[in-house]
Amino acid sequence: MNNLTLIHHDTKLSDIVIAEPTALTVLNRFGIYLGLGDLTVARACDNLGIDKDFLTTILNTYLHESYFPERILASFKAATIVDYLGQTNNYYAQFQLPNIERHFNLLISKSDPANNNLELMLRFFHEMNGQLLARIADDRNHWFPAILQAEAEAEARSQDADALSGDRVQEPEDTVEDKLGDLISMMVIHLQGDHDSNLALAVLMALANLKKDITQNNRIRNRLLLPIYQVLSKA
Amino acid sequence: MARQVVILLHNAIEATGIQRIILDTFGITAHQASGIGELLQLPTDAIDLVVTDAQYFLENLKVFLPRKARTLVVVDRPVQGDGDVKLIDVQQDTDQVLAALSHFLGEKEEENNQPNVLSGREIDVLRLVASGMINKQIADTLNISINTVLTHRKNITAKLGIKSVSGLTFYAMMNGIIDPK
Repeated sequence: MNNLTLIHHDTKLSDIVIAEPTALTVLNRFGIYLGLGDLTVARACDNLGIDKDFLTTILNTYLHESYFPERILASFKAATIVDYLGQTNNYYAQFQLPNIERHFNLLISKSDPANNNLELMLRFFHEMNGQLLARIADDRNHWFPAILQAEAEAEARSQDADALSGDRVQEPEDTVEDKLGDLISMMVIHLQGDHDSNLALAVLMALANLKKDITQNNRIRNRLLLPIYQVLSKA
Repeated sequence: MARQVVILLHNAIEATGIQRIILDTFGITAHQASGIGELLQLPTDAIDLVVTDAQYFLENLKVFLPRKARTLVVVDRPVQGDGDVKLIDVQQDTDQVLAALSHFLGEKEEENNQPNVLSGREIDVLRLVASGMINKQIADTLNISINTVLTHRKNITAKLGIKSVSGLTFYAMMNGIIDPK
Protein backbone atom coordinates (compact mmCIF):
# COMPACT_ATOMS: atom_id res chain seq x y z
CA MET A 1 0.00 0.00 0.00
CA ASN A 2 2.80 2.40 0.86
CA ASN A 3 6.53 2.50 0.09
CA LEU A 4 7.50 2.67 3.72
CA THR A 5 9.82 0.08 5.21
CA LEU A 6 9.52 -0.88 8.87
CA ILE A 7 10.06 2.00 11.26
CA HIS A 8 12.94 1.93 13.78
CA HIS A 9 14.15 4.25 16.54
CA ASP A 10 16.48 6.09 14.16
CA THR A 11 13.88 6.59 11.39
CA LYS A 12 13.28 10.26 10.63
CA LEU A 13 9.67 11.35 11.21
CA SER A 14 9.77 13.48 8.05
CA ASP A 15 10.61 10.38 5.97
CA ILE A 16 7.61 8.59 7.46
CA VAL A 17 5.15 11.43 6.75
CA ILE A 18 6.47 12.06 3.23
CA ALA A 19 6.09 8.36 2.39
CA GLU A 20 2.68 8.08 4.10
CA PRO A 21 1.03 11.41 5.00
CA THR A 22 -1.72 9.73 7.07
CA ALA A 23 1.00 8.97 9.65
CA LEU A 24 0.72 12.62 10.64
CA THR A 25 -2.71 11.97 12.19
CA VAL A 26 -1.03 9.46 14.53
CA LEU A 27 1.82 11.83 15.38
CA ASN A 28 -0.65 14.66 16.03
CA ARG A 29 -2.38 12.50 18.63
CA PHE A 30 0.96 12.27 20.45
CA GLY A 31 1.50 16.03 20.25
CA ILE A 32 3.91 15.93 17.30
CA TYR A 33 3.13 18.38 14.49
CA LEU A 34 4.48 19.56 11.10
CA GLY A 35 7.86 21.27 10.92
CA LEU A 36 9.49 17.97 11.80
CA GLY A 37 13.04 18.92 10.76
CA ASP A 38 15.38 15.93 11.16
CA LEU A 39 13.64 14.65 14.29
CA THR A 40 13.92 10.87 14.66
CA VAL A 41 11.45 8.60 16.45
CA ALA A 42 13.86 8.25 19.37
CA ARG A 43 14.50 11.99 19.81
CA ALA A 44 10.81 12.86 19.54
CA CYS A 45 10.03 10.29 22.23
CA ASP A 46 12.78 11.65 24.50
CA ASN A 47 11.42 15.17 24.09
CA LEU A 48 7.85 14.10 24.93
CA GLY A 49 8.61 11.43 27.52
CA ILE A 50 7.06 8.65 25.41
CA ASP A 51 8.43 5.10 25.32
CA LYS A 52 10.42 4.63 22.05
CA ASP A 53 9.34 1.02 21.54
CA PHE A 54 5.75 1.98 22.11
CA LEU A 55 5.63 4.74 19.45
CA THR A 56 7.57 2.55 17.02
CA THR A 57 5.09 -0.29 17.54
CA ILE A 58 2.08 2.03 17.20
CA LEU A 59 3.40 3.48 13.92
CA ASN A 60 4.29 0.09 12.45
CA THR A 61 0.91 -1.39 13.45
CA TYR A 62 -0.91 1.61 11.97
CA LEU A 63 1.04 1.73 8.71
CA HIS A 64 1.73 -1.92 7.91
CA GLU A 65 -1.20 -4.28 7.53
CA SER A 66 1.03 -7.35 7.82
CA TYR A 67 2.85 -6.14 10.96
CA PHE A 68 2.11 -8.02 14.18
CA PRO A 69 4.04 -6.92 17.28
CA GLU A 70 6.27 -9.84 18.30
CA ARG A 71 5.75 -9.12 21.96
CA ILE A 72 3.83 -6.64 24.03
CA LEU A 73 6.47 -5.09 26.28
CA ALA A 74 5.87 -4.45 29.97
CA SER A 75 6.63 -0.80 29.28
CA PHE A 76 3.47 -0.57 27.12
CA LYS A 77 0.92 1.00 29.38
CA ALA A 78 -2.72 0.32 28.60
CA ALA A 79 -3.38 3.88 29.75
CA THR A 80 -1.20 5.27 26.93
CA ILE A 81 -3.02 3.25 24.27
CA VAL A 82 -6.38 4.17 25.78
CA ASP A 83 -5.35 7.82 25.71
CA TYR A 84 -4.28 7.55 22.08
CA LEU A 85 -7.50 5.76 21.03
CA GLY A 86 -9.57 8.22 23.07
CA GLN A 87 -8.00 11.09 21.13
CA THR A 88 -8.66 9.20 17.92
CA ASN A 89 -12.32 8.82 18.87
CA ASN A 90 -12.53 12.53 19.69
CA TYR A 91 -11.06 13.34 16.29
CA TYR A 92 -13.77 11.27 14.60
CA ALA A 93 -16.60 12.69 16.71
CA GLN A 94 -15.54 16.33 16.76
CA PHE A 95 -13.90 16.76 13.39
CA GLN A 96 -14.21 14.03 10.78
CA LEU A 97 -17.90 13.13 11.14
CA PRO A 98 -19.15 16.76 11.31
CA ASN A 99 -16.83 17.60 8.40
CA ILE A 100 -18.36 14.87 6.22
CA GLU A 101 -21.88 15.94 7.17
CA ARG A 102 -21.09 19.58 6.36
CA HIS A 103 -19.76 18.63 2.93
CA PHE A 104 -22.71 16.32 2.32
CA ASN A 105 -25.18 19.13 3.09
CA LEU A 106 -23.29 21.52 0.81
CA LEU A 107 -23.28 18.93 -1.95
CA ILE A 108 -27.04 18.41 -1.61
CA SER A 109 -27.71 22.16 -1.61
CA LYS A 110 -25.82 22.52 -4.91
CA SER A 111 -27.33 19.48 -6.63
CA ASP A 112 -30.53 18.85 -8.55
CA PRO A 113 -33.33 19.09 -5.91
CA ALA A 114 -35.39 16.54 -7.85
CA ASN A 115 -32.70 13.92 -7.34
CA ASN A 116 -33.18 12.21 -3.97
CA ASN A 117 -30.05 10.02 -4.34
CA LEU A 118 -27.86 12.22 -2.21
CA GLU A 119 -30.56 12.76 0.44
CA LEU A 120 -30.82 9.00 0.84
CA MET A 121 -27.04 8.64 1.01
CA LEU A 122 -26.99 11.31 3.74
CA ARG A 123 -29.61 9.32 5.67
CA PHE A 124 -27.41 6.24 5.34
CA PHE A 125 -24.46 8.31 6.55
CA HIS A 126 -26.50 9.43 9.60
CA GLU A 127 -27.19 5.79 10.42
CA MET A 128 -23.49 4.88 10.21
CA ASN A 129 -22.62 8.06 12.16
CA GLY A 130 -24.97 7.04 15.00
CA GLN A 131 -23.44 3.57 15.13
CA LEU A 132 -19.89 4.94 15.27
CA LEU A 133 -20.82 7.43 18.01
CA ALA A 134 -22.40 4.58 20.01
CA ARG A 135 -19.15 2.62 19.72
CA ILE A 136 -17.18 5.68 20.84
CA ALA A 137 -19.52 6.17 23.82
CA ASP A 138 -19.07 2.51 24.75
CA ASP A 139 -15.29 2.90 24.63
CA ARG A 140 -15.47 6.03 26.78
CA ASN A 141 -18.04 4.82 29.32
CA HIS A 142 -17.31 1.11 29.64
CA TRP A 143 -14.34 -0.46 27.89
CA PHE A 144 -11.61 2.10 28.49
CA PRO A 145 -12.53 2.75 32.17
CA ALA A 146 -12.61 -0.99 32.85
CA ILE A 147 -9.11 -1.42 31.41
CA LEU A 148 -7.75 1.59 33.27
CA GLN A 149 -9.28 0.47 36.51
CA ALA A 150 -7.84 -3.02 36.15
CA GLU A 151 -4.42 -1.66 35.38
CA ALA A 152 -4.51 0.74 38.32
CA GLU A 153 -5.73 -1.87 40.76
CA ALA A 154 -3.66 -4.75 39.44
CA GLU A 155 -3.22 -6.28 42.87
CA ALA A 156 -6.93 -6.38 43.60
CA ARG A 157 -7.64 -7.52 40.07
CA SER A 158 -9.88 -10.44 40.89
CA GLN A 159 -12.55 -8.08 42.17
CA ASP A 160 -12.58 -6.26 38.85
CA ALA A 161 -13.14 -9.31 36.74
CA ASP A 162 -16.81 -8.56 36.38
CA ALA A 163 -16.12 -5.04 35.18
CA LEU A 164 -13.61 -6.26 32.64
CA SER A 165 -15.91 -8.88 31.26
CA GLY A 166 -18.85 -6.52 31.51
CA ASP A 167 -21.25 -5.65 28.76
CA ARG A 168 -19.88 -4.12 25.60
CA VAL A 169 -22.18 -2.54 23.09
CA GLN A 170 -23.25 -5.41 20.86
CA GLU A 171 -22.38 -4.36 17.32
CA PRO A 172 -25.18 -5.07 14.88
CA GLU A 173 -24.41 -7.54 12.13
CA ASP A 174 -23.33 -4.75 9.77
CA THR A 175 -20.28 -2.95 11.09
CA VAL A 176 -19.40 0.72 10.77
CA GLU A 177 -16.59 -0.34 8.42
CA ASP A 178 -19.04 -2.25 6.17
CA LYS A 179 -21.37 0.74 5.99
CA LEU A 180 -18.56 3.16 5.21
CA GLY A 181 -17.43 0.85 2.40
CA ASP A 182 -21.01 0.72 1.10
CA LEU A 183 -21.34 4.52 1.18
CA ILE A 184 -18.15 4.80 -0.85
CA SER A 185 -19.47 2.23 -3.37
CA MET A 186 -22.77 4.11 -3.63
CA MET A 187 -20.98 7.33 -4.51
CA VAL A 188 -18.44 5.78 -6.85
CA ILE A 189 -20.71 3.29 -8.65
CA HIS A 190 -24.33 4.36 -8.23
CA LEU A 191 -24.50 8.17 -7.90
CA GLN A 192 -27.02 9.53 -10.41
CA GLY A 193 -28.09 12.97 -11.57
CA ASP A 194 -26.44 16.37 -11.71
CA HIS A 195 -24.15 17.27 -8.83
CA ASP A 196 -21.18 19.47 -7.96
CA SER A 197 -18.22 17.27 -8.82
CA ASN A 198 -15.76 19.10 -6.53
CA LEU A 199 -18.03 18.74 -3.51
CA ALA A 200 -18.74 15.11 -4.41
CA LEU A 201 -14.99 14.51 -4.50
CA ALA A 202 -14.62 16.22 -1.11
CA VAL A 203 -17.28 13.94 0.44
CA LEU A 204 -15.76 10.88 -1.17
CA MET A 205 -12.23 11.69 0.02
CA ALA A 206 -13.47 12.42 3.54
CA LEU A 207 -15.33 9.08 3.66
CA ALA A 208 -12.30 7.22 2.28
CA ASN A 209 -9.97 8.88 4.81
CA LEU A 210 -12.28 8.02 7.69
CA LYS A 211 -12.56 4.40 6.57
CA LYS A 212 -8.79 4.09 6.18
CA ASP A 213 -8.13 5.68 9.58
CA ILE A 214 -10.67 3.44 11.34
CA THR A 215 -9.23 0.34 9.65
CA GLN A 216 -5.68 1.26 10.64
CA ASN A 217 -6.64 2.12 14.21
CA ASN A 218 -8.58 -1.15 14.49
CA ARG A 219 -5.21 -2.84 14.15
CA ILE A 220 -4.01 -0.92 17.23
CA ARG A 221 -7.18 -1.90 19.11
CA ASN A 222 -6.98 -5.56 18.09
CA ARG A 223 -3.23 -6.20 18.05
CA LEU A 224 -2.13 -4.07 21.02
CA LEU A 225 -4.97 -3.10 23.36
CA LEU A 226 -6.97 -6.32 23.07
CA PRO A 227 -4.05 -8.62 24.08
CA ILE A 228 -3.40 -6.38 27.11
CA TYR A 229 -7.12 -6.47 27.94
CA GLN A 230 -7.09 -10.27 27.72
CA VAL A 231 -4.06 -10.58 29.99
CA LEU A 232 -5.68 -8.27 32.54
CA SER A 233 -8.94 -10.20 32.46
CA LYS A 234 -7.27 -13.58 32.95
CA ALA A 235 -4.85 -12.55 35.69
CA MET B 1 -35.53 -9.83 -24.48
CA ALA B 2 -36.59 -12.75 -22.26
CA ARG B 3 -34.49 -15.85 -22.70
CA GLN B 4 -36.11 -19.00 -24.04
CA VAL B 5 -35.25 -22.27 -22.36
CA VAL B 6 -36.78 -25.59 -23.41
CA ILE B 7 -36.56 -28.70 -21.24
CA LEU B 8 -36.91 -32.03 -23.02
CA LEU B 9 -36.41 -34.93 -20.62
CA HIS B 10 -37.91 -38.38 -20.22
CA ASN B 11 -37.87 -38.05 -16.43
CA ALA B 12 -40.66 -35.62 -15.49
CA ILE B 13 -39.39 -35.17 -11.93
CA GLU B 14 -35.93 -34.15 -13.14
CA ALA B 15 -37.55 -31.83 -15.68
CA THR B 16 -39.65 -30.11 -13.01
CA GLY B 17 -36.65 -29.83 -10.67
CA ILE B 18 -34.45 -28.19 -13.31
CA GLN B 19 -37.32 -25.94 -14.36
CA ARG B 20 -37.61 -24.80 -10.74
CA ILE B 21 -33.87 -24.16 -10.35
CA ILE B 22 -33.85 -22.07 -13.53
CA LEU B 23 -36.85 -20.05 -12.33
CA ASP B 24 -35.46 -19.51 -8.84
CA THR B 25 -31.95 -18.62 -9.91
CA PHE B 26 -32.33 -16.86 -13.24
CA GLY B 27 -35.99 -15.75 -13.11
CA ILE B 28 -36.66 -17.58 -16.39
CA THR B 29 -39.77 -19.72 -16.90
CA ALA B 30 -38.49 -22.67 -18.89
CA HIS B 31 -40.89 -24.57 -21.14
CA GLN B 32 -41.23 -28.35 -20.74
CA ALA B 33 -41.59 -29.84 -24.23
CA SER B 34 -43.68 -32.97 -24.61
CA GLY B 35 -41.44 -34.54 -27.26
CA ILE B 36 -38.89 -33.97 -29.98
CA GLY B 37 -41.67 -32.95 -32.39
CA GLU B 38 -42.55 -29.91 -30.29
CA LEU B 39 -38.91 -28.86 -30.18
CA LEU B 40 -38.66 -29.09 -33.97
CA GLN B 41 -41.59 -26.69 -34.38
CA LEU B 42 -39.67 -23.93 -32.60
CA PRO B 43 -37.25 -21.80 -34.65
CA THR B 44 -33.67 -22.74 -33.78
CA ASP B 45 -32.55 -19.16 -33.25
CA ALA B 46 -35.36 -18.43 -30.80
CA ILE B 47 -34.07 -20.88 -28.21
CA ASP B 48 -31.23 -19.91 -25.88
CA LEU B 49 -30.90 -23.30 -24.24
CA VAL B 50 -32.26 -26.82 -24.61
CA VAL B 51 -31.89 -29.08 -21.60
CA THR B 52 -32.24 -32.69 -22.68
CA ASP B 53 -31.08 -36.17 -21.68
CA ALA B 54 -28.59 -38.54 -23.25
CA GLN B 55 -31.31 -40.72 -24.80
CA TYR B 56 -33.04 -37.84 -26.63
CA PHE B 57 -29.66 -36.47 -27.64
CA LEU B 58 -28.29 -39.70 -29.10
CA GLU B 59 -31.56 -40.60 -30.84
CA ASN B 60 -31.77 -37.14 -32.47
CA LEU B 61 -28.21 -36.22 -33.33
CA LYS B 62 -29.33 -34.46 -36.52
CA VAL B 63 -31.46 -32.15 -34.41
CA PHE B 64 -28.98 -31.48 -31.62
CA LEU B 65 -25.58 -31.35 -33.30
CA PRO B 66 -26.31 -28.10 -35.19
CA ARG B 67 -27.38 -26.50 -31.91
CA LYS B 68 -24.90 -28.24 -29.60
CA ALA B 69 -23.51 -24.88 -28.41
CA ARG B 70 -26.91 -24.23 -26.85
CA THR B 71 -27.63 -27.73 -25.57
CA LEU B 72 -27.14 -29.08 -22.08
CA VAL B 73 -27.31 -32.86 -21.70
CA VAL B 74 -28.44 -34.23 -18.35
CA VAL B 75 -26.61 -37.34 -17.13
CA ASP B 76 -26.98 -39.20 -13.85
CA ARG B 77 -23.36 -40.29 -13.39
CA PRO B 78 -19.95 -38.80 -14.19
CA VAL B 79 -19.32 -39.09 -17.93
CA GLN B 80 -16.16 -38.17 -19.83
CA GLY B 81 -17.47 -35.78 -22.49
CA ASP B 82 -15.58 -34.66 -25.58
CA GLY B 83 -15.76 -31.05 -24.45
CA ASP B 84 -17.97 -30.09 -27.38
CA VAL B 85 -21.27 -30.84 -25.70
CA LYS B 86 -21.93 -29.48 -22.23
CA LEU B 87 -23.04 -32.08 -19.69
CA ILE B 88 -24.82 -31.61 -16.39
CA ASP B 89 -24.56 -34.40 -13.81
CA VAL B 90 -27.67 -34.32 -11.61
CA GLN B 91 -25.77 -36.19 -8.89
CA GLN B 92 -23.54 -33.14 -8.40
CA ASP B 93 -24.22 -30.55 -5.72
CA THR B 94 -26.35 -27.50 -6.41
CA ASP B 95 -23.42 -25.13 -6.94
CA GLN B 96 -22.02 -27.22 -9.80
CA VAL B 97 -25.45 -27.58 -11.41
CA LEU B 98 -25.89 -23.79 -11.14
CA ALA B 99 -22.43 -23.22 -12.61
CA ALA B 100 -23.33 -25.39 -15.62
CA LEU B 101 -26.59 -23.47 -16.13
CA SER B 102 -24.84 -20.12 -15.67
CA HIS B 103 -22.54 -21.02 -18.56
CA PHE B 104 -25.56 -20.58 -20.83
CA LEU B 105 -27.90 -18.30 -18.95
CA GLY B 106 -25.31 -15.90 -17.57
CA GLU B 107 -23.88 -15.00 -20.95
CA LYS B 108 -26.54 -12.52 -22.01
CA GLU B 109 -25.76 -10.10 -19.18
CA GLU B 110 -22.10 -10.00 -20.21
CA GLU B 111 -23.14 -9.36 -23.79
CA ASN B 112 -25.16 -6.40 -22.56
CA ASN B 113 -21.99 -5.04 -20.95
CA GLN B 114 -23.98 -4.28 -17.82
CA PRO B 115 -22.39 -6.50 -15.22
CA ASN B 116 -23.95 -4.59 -12.33
CA VAL B 117 -27.54 -4.90 -13.55
CA LEU B 118 -29.60 -7.12 -11.27
CA SER B 119 -31.73 -9.93 -12.68
CA GLY B 120 -35.46 -10.00 -11.93
CA ARG B 121 -34.99 -12.65 -9.27
CA GLU B 122 -32.15 -10.73 -7.63
CA ILE B 123 -34.42 -7.67 -7.45
CA ASP B 124 -37.08 -9.85 -5.74
CA VAL B 125 -34.50 -10.96 -3.17
CA LEU B 126 -33.20 -7.40 -2.70
CA ARG B 127 -36.74 -6.12 -2.11
CA LEU B 128 -37.26 -8.70 0.65
CA VAL B 129 -33.82 -8.04 2.21
CA ALA B 130 -34.70 -4.34 2.26
CA SER B 131 -38.03 -5.09 3.91
CA GLY B 132 -36.12 -6.62 6.82
CA MET B 133 -36.56 -10.32 6.12
CA ILE B 134 -33.90 -12.82 7.13
CA ASN B 135 -32.68 -15.49 4.68
CA LYS B 136 -35.10 -18.16 5.95
CA GLN B 137 -38.10 -15.85 5.50
CA ILE B 138 -36.93 -14.90 2.01
CA ALA B 139 -36.54 -18.57 1.10
CA ASP B 140 -40.05 -19.34 2.37
CA THR B 141 -41.60 -16.33 0.64
CA LEU B 142 -40.02 -17.06 -2.74
CA ASN B 143 -40.30 -20.82 -2.29
CA ILE B 144 -36.59 -21.36 -2.87
CA SER B 145 -33.83 -22.92 -0.78
CA ILE B 146 -31.69 -20.92 1.65
CA ASN B 147 -28.65 -21.85 -0.48
CA THR B 148 -30.30 -20.20 -3.48
CA VAL B 149 -31.03 -17.10 -1.39
CA LEU B 150 -27.37 -17.00 -0.33
CA THR B 151 -26.26 -17.33 -3.97
CA HIS B 152 -28.53 -14.43 -4.96
CA ARG B 153 -27.24 -12.29 -2.09
CA LYS B 154 -23.64 -13.04 -3.01
CA ASN B 155 -24.35 -12.04 -6.62
CA ILE B 156 -26.18 -8.85 -5.55
CA THR B 157 -23.23 -7.78 -3.38
CA ALA B 158 -20.73 -8.59 -6.15
CA LYS B 159 -22.73 -6.60 -8.71
CA LEU B 160 -23.50 -3.57 -6.53
CA GLY B 161 -20.40 -3.41 -4.31
CA ILE B 162 -22.75 -3.09 -1.32
CA LYS B 163 -22.85 -5.68 1.45
CA SER B 164 -24.62 -4.29 4.53
CA VAL B 165 -28.38 -4.71 4.87
CA SER B 166 -28.72 -0.97 5.48
CA GLY B 167 -26.67 -0.19 2.38
CA LEU B 168 -28.80 -2.52 0.27
CA THR B 169 -31.95 -0.96 1.71
CA PHE B 170 -30.85 2.55 0.77
CA TYR B 171 -29.81 1.33 -2.68
CA ALA B 172 -33.30 -0.17 -3.10
CA MET B 173 -34.85 3.19 -2.12
CA MET B 174 -32.57 5.10 -4.49
CA ASN B 175 -33.62 2.90 -7.37
CA GLY B 176 -37.36 2.74 -6.67
CA ILE B 177 -37.30 -0.94 -5.67
CA ILE B 178 -38.93 -0.01 -2.36
CA ASP B 179 -40.54 3.25 -1.28
CA PRO B 180 -38.34 5.64 0.71
CA LYS B 181 -39.66 5.58 4.27
